[in-house]
Amino acid sequence: MSRISDAISELHKLDMEADKPGWLQGIHPLPKLFVTVLFLVITVSFGKYELSGLLKLGIYLIVLFVLGDISVKLLLKRMKVVLALVCLMGIVNPFFDRREMLLLGGFAVTGGMLSAATLMLKGVYAVSASYLLIVTTSVEEICYALRRLHVPKLIVTVLMLVYRYIIVLLKETERMTEAYALRAPGQRGLDYKAWGTFAGQLLLRSMDRAQTVYDSMMLRGYDGEFYLRCKRAAGRGDYLYAAVWSAVLLFVRAGSAG
Amino acid sequence: MSILEIENLSFSYGNPRGKLLENVLEGIDIRVAEGESVGLIGENGAGKSTFLKLLTGLLTLKNGVIRVSGFAMNKENLKAIRAEIGYVFQDSDSQLFMSTVYEDVAFAPRNYGKSEEEVREAALSALRQVHMEDKVDRQIYRLSGGEKKLAAIATVLSVGAKLMLLDEPSVALDPKNRRNLIRILNELPGAKIIASHDLDFVYDTCQRVILLSGGRIAADGETEKILTDRELLEQHGLELPLSFSRE
Ligand SMILES: Nc1ncnc2c1ncn2[C@@H]1O[C@H](COP(=O)(O)OP(=O)(O)OP(=O)(O)O)[C@@H](O)[C@H]1O
Ligand SMILES: [Mg+2]
Repeated sequence: MSRISDAISELHKLDMEADKPGWLQGIHPLPKLFVTVLFLVITVSFGKYELSGLLKLGIYLIVLFVLGDISVKLLLKRMKVVLALVCLMGIVNPFFDRREMLLLGGFAVTGGMLSAATLMLKGVYAVSASYLLIVTTSVEEICYALRRLHVPKLIVTVLMLVYRYIIVLLKETERMTEAYALRAPGQRGLDYKAWGTFAGQLLLRSMDRAQTVYDSMMLRGYDGEFYLRCKRAAGRGDYLYAAVWSAVLLFVRAGSAG
Repeated sequence: MSILEIENLSFSYGNPRGKLLENVLEGIDIRVAEGESVGLIGENGAGKSTFLKLLTGLLTLKNGVIRVSGFAMNKENLKAIRAEIGYVFQDSDSQLFMSTVYEDVAFAPRNYGKSEEEVREAALSALRQVHMEDKVDRQIYRLSGGEKKLAAIATVLSVGAKLMLLDEPSVALDPKNRRNLIRILNELPGAKIIASHDLDFVYDTCQRVILLSGGRIAADGETEKILTDRELLEQHGLELPLSFSRE
Protein backbone atom coordinates (compact mmCIF):
# COMPACT_ATOMS: atom_id res chain seq x y z
CA MET A 1 0.00 0.00 0.00
CA SER A 2 1.21 3.49 -0.75
CA ARG A 3 2.19 5.89 2.01
CA ILE A 4 -0.69 8.13 1.11
CA SER A 5 -3.34 5.51 1.55
CA ASP A 6 -1.54 4.59 4.77
CA ALA A 7 -2.01 8.15 5.93
CA ILE A 8 -5.66 8.17 4.98
CA SER A 9 -6.30 4.87 6.63
CA GLU A 10 -4.54 6.13 9.79
CA LEU A 11 -6.98 9.04 9.84
CA HIS A 12 -9.86 6.63 9.31
CA LYS A 13 -8.61 4.44 12.05
CA LEU A 14 -8.47 7.36 14.44
CA ASP A 15 -12.03 8.25 13.51
CA MET A 16 -13.08 4.62 13.76
CA GLU A 17 -11.53 4.18 17.16
CA ALA A 18 -13.36 7.25 18.34
CA ASP A 19 -16.58 5.50 17.29
CA LYS A 20 -15.69 2.15 18.80
CA PRO A 21 -17.97 1.16 21.61
CA GLY A 22 -16.14 1.52 24.91
CA TRP A 23 -16.75 3.38 28.11
CA LEU A 24 -14.11 6.01 27.44
CA GLN A 25 -15.44 6.63 23.94
CA GLY A 26 -18.91 6.85 25.42
CA ILE A 27 -18.09 9.63 27.86
CA HIS A 28 -19.53 12.97 26.84
CA PRO A 29 -16.87 15.06 25.05
CA LEU A 30 -17.26 18.07 27.31
CA PRO A 31 -16.04 16.46 30.54
CA LYS A 32 -13.41 14.58 28.56
CA LEU A 33 -12.01 17.76 27.06
CA PHE A 34 -12.26 19.52 30.41
CA VAL A 35 -10.32 16.81 32.23
CA THR A 36 -7.71 16.71 29.48
CA VAL A 37 -7.16 20.44 29.67
CA LEU A 38 -7.00 20.31 33.47
CA PHE A 39 -4.44 17.51 33.22
CA LEU A 40 -2.33 19.55 30.80
CA VAL A 41 -2.49 22.66 32.98
CA ILE A 42 -1.49 20.72 36.08
CA THR A 43 1.31 18.96 34.19
CA VAL A 44 2.74 22.28 33.11
CA SER A 45 2.35 23.77 36.58
CA PHE A 46 4.91 21.44 38.13
CA GLY A 47 8.27 23.06 38.88
CA LYS A 48 11.36 21.96 37.05
CA TYR A 49 12.63 19.68 39.81
CA GLU A 50 9.27 18.27 40.89
CA LEU A 51 9.78 14.90 39.29
CA SER A 52 8.14 12.86 42.04
CA GLY A 53 4.89 14.81 41.92
CA LEU A 54 4.84 14.54 38.16
CA LEU A 55 5.36 10.79 38.38
CA LYS A 56 2.31 10.47 40.61
CA LEU A 57 0.28 12.40 38.08
CA GLY A 58 1.00 9.58 35.64
CA ILE A 59 -1.78 7.62 37.34
CA TYR A 60 -4.25 9.44 35.08
CA LEU A 61 -2.60 8.13 31.93
CA ILE A 62 -2.07 4.64 33.28
CA VAL A 63 -5.66 4.30 34.41
CA LEU A 64 -7.07 5.54 31.12
CA PHE A 65 -4.77 3.46 28.95
CA VAL A 66 -5.50 0.32 30.95
CA LEU A 67 -9.22 0.75 31.61
CA GLY A 68 -9.90 2.34 28.24
CA ASP A 69 -8.11 -0.54 26.54
CA ILE A 70 -6.03 1.85 24.44
CA SER A 71 -2.96 0.32 22.83
CA VAL A 72 0.30 1.90 24.03
CA LYS A 73 2.14 0.21 21.19
CA LEU A 74 0.02 2.09 18.68
CA LEU A 75 0.66 5.34 20.51
CA LEU A 76 4.40 4.74 20.23
CA LYS A 77 4.10 3.86 16.56
CA ARG A 78 1.93 6.78 15.58
CA MET A 79 3.57 9.41 17.69
CA LYS A 80 7.17 8.24 17.38
CA VAL A 81 8.43 11.41 15.73
CA VAL A 82 6.71 13.75 18.17
CA LEU A 83 7.78 11.64 21.12
CA ALA A 84 11.37 11.57 19.94
CA LEU A 85 11.40 15.34 19.60
CA VAL A 86 9.86 15.72 23.03
CA CYS A 87 12.56 13.51 24.52
CA LEU A 88 15.25 15.68 22.96
CA MET A 89 13.98 18.66 24.92
CA GLY A 90 16.10 19.26 27.94
CA ILE A 91 18.82 16.89 26.77
CA VAL A 92 21.42 19.57 27.40
CA ASN A 93 20.25 20.43 30.91
CA PRO A 94 22.58 17.94 32.64
CA PHE A 95 25.59 19.72 31.17
CA PHE A 96 24.70 23.08 32.59
CA ASP A 97 23.11 22.38 35.93
CA ARG A 98 25.59 20.16 37.81
CA ARG A 99 24.44 20.83 41.37
CA GLU A 100 23.95 17.63 43.30
CA MET A 101 20.32 17.36 44.34
CA LEU A 102 20.06 13.92 45.90
CA LEU A 103 21.82 10.62 46.23
CA LEU A 104 20.21 7.57 44.72
CA GLY A 105 21.97 4.43 45.95
CA GLY A 106 25.32 6.17 45.99
CA PHE A 107 24.72 7.80 42.61
CA ALA A 108 24.63 11.58 42.66
CA VAL A 109 21.68 12.99 40.76
CA THR A 110 22.32 16.52 39.57
CA GLY A 111 19.74 19.25 39.14
CA GLY A 112 20.26 19.08 35.39
CA MET A 113 19.34 15.41 35.25
CA LEU A 114 16.28 16.03 37.33
CA SER A 115 15.07 18.97 35.27
CA ALA A 116 15.78 17.11 32.02
CA ALA A 117 13.71 14.16 33.19
CA THR A 118 10.92 16.46 34.34
CA LEU A 119 10.83 18.27 31.04
CA MET A 120 10.76 15.04 29.02
CA LEU A 121 8.05 13.61 31.18
CA LYS A 122 5.94 16.75 30.75
CA GLY A 123 6.29 16.42 27.01
CA VAL A 124 5.39 12.75 26.99
CA TYR A 125 2.40 13.43 29.25
CA ALA A 126 1.11 16.19 27.02
CA VAL A 127 1.43 14.05 23.90
CA SER A 128 -0.17 11.00 25.51
CA ALA A 129 -3.06 12.93 27.03
CA SER A 130 -3.85 14.60 23.69
CA TYR A 131 -3.59 11.26 21.97
CA LEU A 132 -6.02 9.73 24.44
CA LEU A 133 -8.51 12.48 23.70
CA ILE A 134 -8.14 12.14 19.95
CA VAL A 135 -8.52 8.37 19.75
CA THR A 136 -11.59 8.35 21.93
CA THR A 137 -13.37 11.41 20.58
CA SER A 138 -14.35 12.34 17.03
CA VAL A 139 -13.35 15.67 15.54
CA GLU A 140 -16.94 16.84 15.57
CA GLU A 141 -17.22 16.02 19.25
CA ILE A 142 -13.99 17.78 20.13
CA CYS A 143 -15.08 20.86 18.18
CA TYR A 144 -18.46 20.74 19.86
CA ALA A 145 -16.82 20.68 23.29
CA LEU A 146 -14.45 23.49 22.30
CA ARG A 147 -17.43 25.63 21.35
CA ARG A 148 -19.10 24.85 24.66
CA LEU A 149 -15.94 26.00 26.40
CA HIS A 150 -16.29 29.29 24.51
CA VAL A 151 -13.41 28.87 22.11
CA PRO A 152 -14.17 31.36 19.30
CA LYS A 153 -16.32 30.17 16.40
CA LEU A 154 -13.66 31.09 13.86
CA ILE A 155 -10.99 28.89 15.42
CA VAL A 156 -13.29 25.89 15.73
CA THR A 157 -14.55 26.28 12.16
CA VAL A 158 -11.02 26.50 10.84
CA LEU A 159 -10.14 23.39 12.79
CA MET A 160 -13.06 21.50 11.25
CA LEU A 161 -12.24 22.69 7.76
CA VAL A 162 -8.54 21.95 8.04
CA TYR A 163 -9.36 18.43 9.09
CA ARG A 164 -11.72 18.02 6.11
CA TYR A 165 -9.21 19.58 3.75
CA ILE A 166 -6.41 17.25 4.79
CA ILE A 167 -8.55 14.27 3.86
CA VAL A 168 -9.55 15.87 0.57
CA LEU A 169 -5.91 16.58 -0.24
CA LEU A 170 -4.76 13.09 0.66
CA LYS A 171 -7.57 11.51 -1.34
CA GLU A 172 -6.73 13.57 -4.39
CA THR A 173 -3.03 12.73 -4.10
CA GLU A 174 -3.86 9.07 -3.83
CA ARG A 175 -6.10 9.14 -6.87
CA MET A 176 -3.41 10.83 -8.93
CA THR A 177 -0.52 8.63 -7.83
CA GLU A 178 -2.61 5.56 -8.49
CA ALA A 179 -3.52 6.76 -11.96
CA TYR A 180 0.12 7.60 -12.59
CA ALA A 181 1.41 4.28 -11.33
CA LEU A 182 -1.07 2.34 -13.44
CA ARG A 183 0.10 4.06 -16.58
CA ALA A 184 3.79 3.95 -15.72
CA PRO A 185 4.29 0.35 -14.68
CA GLY A 186 7.69 -0.84 -13.60
CA GLN A 187 8.67 2.59 -12.43
CA ARG A 188 9.40 3.26 -8.81
CA GLY A 189 7.77 6.41 -7.55
CA LEU A 190 7.25 9.50 -9.58
CA ASP A 191 9.69 10.46 -12.30
CA TYR A 192 11.33 13.75 -11.32
CA LYS A 193 10.34 15.29 -14.66
CA ALA A 194 6.68 14.83 -13.73
CA TRP A 195 6.97 16.47 -10.31
CA GLY A 196 6.18 19.97 -11.47
CA THR A 197 3.02 19.13 -13.39
CA PHE A 198 1.99 16.71 -10.69
CA ALA A 199 2.26 19.28 -7.93
CA GLY A 200 0.48 21.89 -10.03
CA GLN A 201 -2.33 19.52 -10.91
CA LEU A 202 -2.64 18.43 -7.32
CA LEU A 203 -3.02 22.00 -6.16
CA LEU A 204 -5.61 22.81 -8.82
CA ARG A 205 -7.57 19.65 -8.25
CA SER A 206 -7.62 19.86 -4.50
CA MET A 207 -8.66 23.51 -4.68
CA ASP A 208 -11.43 22.43 -6.97
CA ARG A 209 -12.44 19.73 -4.51
CA ALA A 210 -12.36 22.12 -1.60
CA GLN A 211 -14.56 24.46 -3.61
CA THR A 212 -17.18 21.77 -4.26
CA VAL A 213 -17.16 20.79 -0.61
CA TYR A 214 -17.74 24.42 0.25
CA ASP A 215 -20.50 24.59 -2.40
CA SER A 216 -22.15 21.58 -0.89
CA MET A 217 -22.05 23.21 2.53
CA MET A 218 -23.53 26.45 1.24
CA LEU A 219 -26.32 24.61 -0.56
CA ARG A 220 -27.30 22.98 2.67
CA GLY A 221 -27.75 26.15 4.61
CA TYR A 222 -24.26 26.64 6.06
CA ASP A 223 -23.98 30.17 7.36
CA GLY A 224 -20.59 30.32 9.01
CA GLU A 225 -21.17 28.06 11.94
CA PHE A 226 -21.05 24.33 12.29
CA TYR A 227 -24.04 23.46 14.41
CA LEU A 228 -22.24 20.78 16.27
CA ARG A 229 -24.29 18.94 18.70
CA CYS A 230 -23.79 15.85 20.65
CA LYS A 231 -25.75 12.69 20.13
CA ARG A 232 -26.79 12.85 23.76
CA ALA A 233 -26.73 15.23 26.69
CA ALA A 234 -24.20 14.79 29.47
CA GLY A 235 -25.48 12.45 32.16
CA ARG A 236 -24.64 11.64 35.73
CA GLY A 237 -21.77 9.35 34.74
CA ASP A 238 -20.16 12.13 32.75
CA TYR A 239 -20.28 14.57 35.65
CA LEU A 240 -18.93 11.86 37.91
CA TYR A 241 -16.06 11.30 35.47
CA ALA A 242 -15.17 14.99 35.52
CA ALA A 243 -15.59 15.29 39.27
CA VAL A 244 -13.51 12.23 40.17
CA TRP A 245 -10.65 13.13 37.87
CA SER A 246 -10.65 16.77 38.92
CA ALA A 247 -10.44 15.65 42.54
CA VAL A 248 -7.67 13.14 41.87
CA LEU A 249 -5.60 15.52 39.76
CA LEU A 250 -5.96 18.43 42.17
CA PHE A 251 -5.18 16.11 45.09
CA VAL A 252 -1.96 14.94 43.44
CA ARG A 253 -1.03 18.53 42.70
CA ALA A 254 -1.77 19.72 46.24
CA GLY A 255 0.01 16.75 47.74
CA SER A 256 3.24 17.56 46.01
CA ALA A 257 3.14 21.32 46.52
CA GLY A 258 5.61 22.87 48.93
CA MET B 1 -48.24 28.70 -9.47
CA SER B 2 -44.93 27.74 -10.93
CA ILE B 3 -42.06 26.94 -8.61
CA LEU B 4 -39.55 27.71 -11.33
CA GLU B 5 -39.59 30.25 -14.11
CA ILE B 6 -36.72 30.70 -16.53
CA GLU B 7 -36.66 33.32 -19.24
CA ASN B 8 -34.16 33.66 -22.02
CA LEU B 9 -31.32 32.08 -20.10
CA SER B 10 -27.92 31.78 -21.72
CA PHE B 11 -24.60 30.96 -20.18
CA SER B 12 -20.95 30.58 -21.06
CA TYR B 13 -17.93 29.57 -19.01
CA GLY B 14 -14.92 31.86 -18.92
CA ASN B 15 -11.45 30.57 -19.69
CA PRO B 16 -8.65 31.14 -17.16
CA ARG B 17 -7.77 34.46 -18.74
CA GLY B 18 -11.31 35.69 -18.19
CA LYS B 19 -12.32 35.51 -21.84
CA LEU B 20 -15.76 34.06 -22.37
CA LEU B 21 -16.00 30.81 -24.24
CA GLU B 22 -18.77 29.72 -26.54
CA ASN B 23 -22.27 29.62 -25.04
CA VAL B 24 -23.04 26.35 -23.27
CA LEU B 25 -26.70 27.26 -22.86
CA GLU B 26 -28.68 29.52 -25.09
CA GLY B 27 -32.18 30.99 -25.14
CA ILE B 28 -33.68 28.69 -22.53
CA ASP B 29 -37.30 29.30 -21.48
CA ILE B 30 -38.85 26.91 -19.00
CA ARG B 31 -41.66 26.92 -16.46
CA VAL B 32 -42.05 24.16 -13.93
CA ALA B 33 -45.23 23.85 -11.90
CA GLU B 34 -45.27 22.93 -8.22
CA GLY B 35 -44.99 19.20 -7.76
CA GLU B 36 -44.12 18.56 -11.41
CA SER B 37 -41.40 16.07 -12.34
CA VAL B 38 -39.23 16.97 -15.28
CA GLY B 39 -36.60 14.78 -16.91
CA LEU B 40 -33.63 16.58 -18.40
CA ILE B 41 -31.95 14.58 -21.13
CA GLY B 42 -29.27 15.19 -23.71
CA GLU B 43 -25.92 13.78 -24.79
CA ASN B 44 -22.65 14.29 -22.89
CA GLY B 45 -21.75 17.95 -22.74
CA ALA B 46 -25.26 19.08 -23.69
CA GLY B 47 -25.31 21.42 -20.67
CA LYS B 48 -27.47 19.51 -18.18
CA SER B 49 -25.18 19.90 -15.17
CA THR B 50 -24.48 23.50 -16.08
CA PHE B 51 -28.21 24.17 -16.15
CA LEU B 52 -28.80 22.63 -12.72
CA LYS B 53 -25.85 24.50 -11.20
CA LEU B 54 -27.26 27.78 -12.46
CA LEU B 55 -30.51 27.04 -10.64
CA THR B 56 -28.64 26.58 -7.36
CA GLY B 57 -26.62 29.73 -7.81
CA LEU B 58 -23.36 27.75 -7.79
CA LEU B 59 -22.74 29.24 -11.23
CA THR B 60 -23.46 32.92 -11.48
CA LEU B 61 -26.32 33.91 -13.71
CA LYS B 62 -25.21 36.44 -16.33
CA ASN B 63 -27.94 36.52 -18.95
CA GLY B 64 -31.62 35.87 -18.47
CA VAL B 65 -33.96 35.53 -15.53
CA ILE B 66 -34.39 32.66 -13.07
CA ARG B 67 -37.15 32.77 -10.49
CA VAL B 68 -37.53 30.12 -7.80
CA SER B 69 -40.75 30.30 -5.74
CA GLY B 70 -41.10 33.86 -6.96
CA PHE B 71 -37.61 34.91 -5.81
CA ALA B 72 -35.50 36.29 -8.64
CA MET B 73 -32.01 34.77 -8.69
CA ASN B 74 -29.58 37.34 -7.33
CA LYS B 75 -27.18 37.71 -4.44
CA GLU B 76 -29.77 38.97 -1.97
CA ASN B 77 -32.22 36.16 -2.63
CA LEU B 78 -29.66 33.39 -2.78
CA LYS B 79 -30.22 32.20 0.76
CA ALA B 80 -34.00 32.12 0.39
CA ILE B 81 -33.70 30.30 -2.92
CA ARG B 82 -31.33 27.71 -1.56
CA ALA B 83 -33.66 26.96 1.31
CA GLU B 84 -36.23 25.83 -1.28
CA ILE B 85 -33.83 23.70 -3.28
CA GLY B 86 -32.27 20.30 -2.73
CA TYR B 87 -29.42 19.46 -5.06
CA VAL B 88 -27.86 16.04 -5.56
CA PHE B 89 -24.43 16.37 -7.18
CA GLN B 90 -23.39 14.27 -10.15
CA ASP B 91 -20.35 13.24 -8.10
CA SER B 92 -21.35 12.18 -4.57
CA ASP B 93 -17.76 12.48 -3.36
CA SER B 94 -18.06 16.24 -3.62
CA GLN B 95 -21.38 16.32 -1.89
CA LEU B 96 -20.50 14.50 1.30
CA PHE B 97 -18.01 16.07 3.66
CA MET B 98 -18.75 15.15 7.25
CA SER B 99 -17.13 12.11 8.79
CA THR B 100 -20.10 9.82 9.31
CA VAL B 101 -23.28 9.21 7.34
CA TYR B 102 -25.44 10.50 10.19
CA GLU B 103 -23.48 13.71 10.63
CA ASP B 104 -23.72 14.44 6.93
CA VAL B 105 -27.43 13.82 6.66
CA ALA B 106 -28.04 15.87 9.82
CA PHE B 107 -26.00 18.80 8.53
CA ALA B 108 -28.74 20.60 6.61
CA PRO B 109 -31.60 20.24 9.13
CA ARG B 110 -29.27 21.56 11.83
CA ASN B 111 -28.47 24.61 9.76
CA TYR B 112 -32.15 25.32 9.41
CA GLY B 113 -32.45 25.64 13.14
CA LYS B 114 -34.25 22.44 14.05
CA SER B 115 -34.00 21.04 17.55
CA GLU B 116 -31.70 18.07 17.98
CA GLU B 117 -34.68 15.77 18.33
CA GLU B 118 -36.23 16.98 15.08
CA VAL B 119 -32.85 16.72 13.40
CA ARG B 120 -32.51 13.13 14.50
CA GLU B 121 -36.02 12.36 13.37
CA ALA B 122 -35.45 13.93 9.94
CA ALA B 123 -32.04 12.32 9.42
CA LEU B 124 -33.12 8.83 10.43
CA SER B 125 -36.29 8.96 8.39
CA ALA B 126 -34.31 10.09 5.31
CA LEU B 127 -31.85 7.26 5.84
CA ARG B 128 -34.67 4.76 6.30
CA GLN B 129 -36.19 5.89 3.01
CA VAL B 130 -33.03 4.99 1.11
CA HIS B 131 -32.55 1.80 3.17
CA MET B 132 -29.39 3.05 4.82
CA GLU B 133 -30.62 2.87 8.40
CA ASP B 134 -28.03 0.24 9.29
CA LYS B 135 -25.17 2.43 8.06
CA VAL B 136 -25.95 5.45 10.21
CA ASP B 137 -22.60 5.56 11.95
CA ARG B 138 -20.46 4.40 9.03
CA GLN B 139 -17.52 6.50 7.89
CA ILE B 140 -18.28 8.24 4.61
CA TYR B 141 -14.94 7.24 3.14
CA ARG B 142 -15.68 3.60 3.66
CA LEU B 143 -18.93 3.54 1.73
CA SER B 144 -19.23 1.96 -1.70
CA GLY B 145 -20.01 4.13 -4.72
CA GLY B 146 -23.71 3.28 -4.65
CA GLU B 147 -23.98 3.72 -0.89
CA LYS B 148 -22.45 7.17 -1.26
CA LYS B 149 -25.08 8.03 -3.83
CA LEU B 150 -27.84 6.88 -1.47
CA ALA B 151 -26.34 8.88 1.38
CA ALA B 152 -26.11 11.94 -0.86
CA ILE B 153 -29.78 11.56 -1.75
CA ALA B 154 -30.63 11.21 1.95
CA THR B 155 -28.85 14.49 2.74
CA VAL B 156 -31.37 16.19 0.46
CA LEU B 157 -34.40 14.19 1.58
CA SER B 158 -33.76 15.22 5.18
CA VAL B 159 -34.87 18.80 4.49
CA GLY B 160 -37.87 18.16 2.26
CA ALA B 161 -37.12 20.72 -0.45
CA LYS B 162 -39.82 22.20 -2.69
CA LEU B 163 -37.63 21.77 -5.74
CA MET B 164 -35.26 18.84 -6.04
CA LEU B 165 -32.49 18.90 -8.60
CA LEU B 166 -30.92 15.53 -9.22
CA ASP B 167 -27.90 15.08 -11.45
CA GLU B 168 -27.61 11.46 -12.57
CA PRO B 169 -29.28 10.02 -9.47
CA SER B 170 -29.43 6.45 -10.74
CA VAL B 171 -25.76 6.09 -11.60
CA ALA B 172 -23.97 3.47 -9.47
CA LEU B 173 -27.17 2.02 -8.03
CA ASP B 174 -27.93 -1.68 -8.26
CA PRO B 175 -31.33 -2.68 -9.70
CA LYS B 176 -32.97 -3.00 -6.31
CA ASN B 177 -31.83 0.40 -5.06
CA ARG B 178 -32.63 1.95 -8.42
CA ARG B 179 -36.20 0.66 -8.20
CA ASN B 180 -36.43 1.88 -4.63
CA LEU B 181 -35.22 5.34 -5.68
CA ILE B 182 -37.90 5.48 -8.37
CA ARG B 183 -40.51 4.71 -5.72
CA ILE B 184 -39.10 7.36 -3.34
CA LEU B 185 -39.03 10.03 -6.02
CA ASN B 186 -42.55 9.24 -7.10
CA GLU B 187 -43.77 9.59 -3.53
CA LEU B 188 -42.09 12.96 -2.94
CA PRO B 189 -44.53 15.84 -3.10
CA GLY B 190 -42.09 18.52 -4.34
CA ALA B 191 -41.13 19.38 -7.91
CA LYS B 192 -38.16 17.58 -9.40
CA ILE B 193 -35.75 18.07 -12.23
CA ILE B 194 -33.85 14.90 -12.97
CA ALA B 195 -30.89 15.05 -15.33
CA SER B 196 -30.10 11.57 -16.54
CA HIS B 197 -28.86 9.35 -19.33
CA ASP B 198 -30.92 6.55 -17.88
CA LEU B 199 -34.00 7.13 -20.03
CA ASP B 200 -35.87 4.24 -18.48
CA PHE B 201 -35.38 5.89 -15.12
CA VAL B 202 -36.68 9.17 -16.52
CA TYR B 203 -39.62 7.33 -18.02
CA ASP B 204 -40.55 5.88 -14.63
CA THR B 205 -40.19 9.13 -12.67
CA CYS B 206 -41.13 12.06 -14.91
CA GLN B 207 -44.30 13.23 -16.60
CA ARG B 208 -42.42 15.71 -18.72
CA VAL B 209 -39.10 15.63 -20.55
CA ILE B 210 -36.86 18.41 -21.77
CA LEU B 211 -34.30 17.47 -24.40
CA LEU B 212 -31.21 19.65 -24.45
CA SER B 213 -29.01 19.65 -27.49
CA GLY B 214 -26.04 21.92 -28.01
CA GLY B 215 -27.24 24.16 -25.20
CA ARG B 216 -30.71 24.72 -26.67
CA ILE B 217 -34.05 23.13 -25.92
CA ALA B 218 -34.66 20.71 -28.76
CA ALA B 219 -37.90 19.36 -27.37
CA ASP B 220 -40.10 19.89 -24.34
CA GLY B 221 -43.18 17.81 -23.79
CA GLU B 222 -44.85 14.71 -22.42
CA THR B 223 -42.46 11.90 -21.51
CA GLU B 224 -44.57 9.40 -23.39
CA LYS B 225 -44.22 11.37 -26.62
CA ILE B 226 -40.55 12.30 -26.49
CA LEU B 227 -39.10 9.07 -25.21
CA THR B 228 -40.89 7.04 -27.86
CA ASP B 229 -39.81 9.31 -30.71
CA ARG B 230 -36.90 7.32 -32.09
CA GLU B 231 -36.13 9.80 -34.83
CA LEU B 232 -35.98 12.79 -32.49
CA LEU B 233 -33.79 11.00 -30.00
CA GLU B 234 -31.36 9.68 -32.58
CA GLN B 235 -31.11 13.06 -34.20
CA HIS B 236 -29.76 14.36 -30.88
CA GLY B 237 -27.36 11.55 -30.16
CA LEU B 238 -29.64 9.51 -27.90
CA GLU B 239 -31.35 6.15 -28.16
CA LEU B 240 -34.77 4.80 -27.29
CA PRO B 241 -35.12 3.61 -23.70
CA LEU B 242 -34.38 -0.10 -23.38
CA SER B 243 -37.96 -0.92 -22.46
CA PHE B 244 -39.15 0.30 -25.87
CA SER B 245 -36.31 -0.79 -28.08
CA ARG B 246 -36.87 -4.37 -26.98
CA GLU B 247 -40.40 -4.46 -28.28
N1 LIG C 1 -15.88 24.60 -15.48
C1 LIG C 1 -15.99 24.58 -16.81
N2 LIG C 1 -15.24 25.40 -17.58
C2 LIG C 1 -15.37 25.41 -18.91
N3 LIG C 1 -16.20 24.60 -19.59
C3 LIG C 1 -16.98 23.76 -18.90
C4 LIG C 1 -16.91 23.69 -17.46
N4 LIG C 1 -17.79 22.75 -17.04
C5 LIG C 1 -18.37 22.25 -18.16
N5 LIG C 1 -17.89 22.84 -19.27
C6 LIG C 1 -18.33 22.57 -20.64
O1 LIG C 1 -19.69 22.92 -20.77
C7 LIG C 1 -20.39 21.98 -21.57
C8 LIG C 1 -21.60 21.44 -20.83
O2 LIG C 1 -21.16 20.69 -19.71
P1 LIG C 1 -22.14 20.00 -18.68
O3 LIG C 1 -21.34 19.45 -17.59
O4 LIG C 1 -23.23 20.93 -18.35
O5 LIG C 1 -22.73 18.82 -19.58
P2 LIG C 1 -23.71 17.63 -19.19
O6 LIG C 1 -24.89 17.73 -20.08
O7 LIG C 1 -23.96 17.62 -17.74
O8 LIG C 1 -22.85 16.37 -19.63
P3 LIG C 1 -22.76 14.91 -18.95
O9 LIG C 1 -23.93 14.15 -19.48
O10 LIG C 1 -21.51 14.38 -19.49
O11 LIG C 1 -22.76 15.06 -17.48
C9 LIG C 1 -19.37 20.91 -21.96
O12 LIG C 1 -18.94 21.16 -23.25
C10 LIG C 1 -18.24 21.11 -20.98
O13 LIG C 1 -17.02 20.81 -21.60
MG1 LIG D 1 -23.48 16.36 -16.17
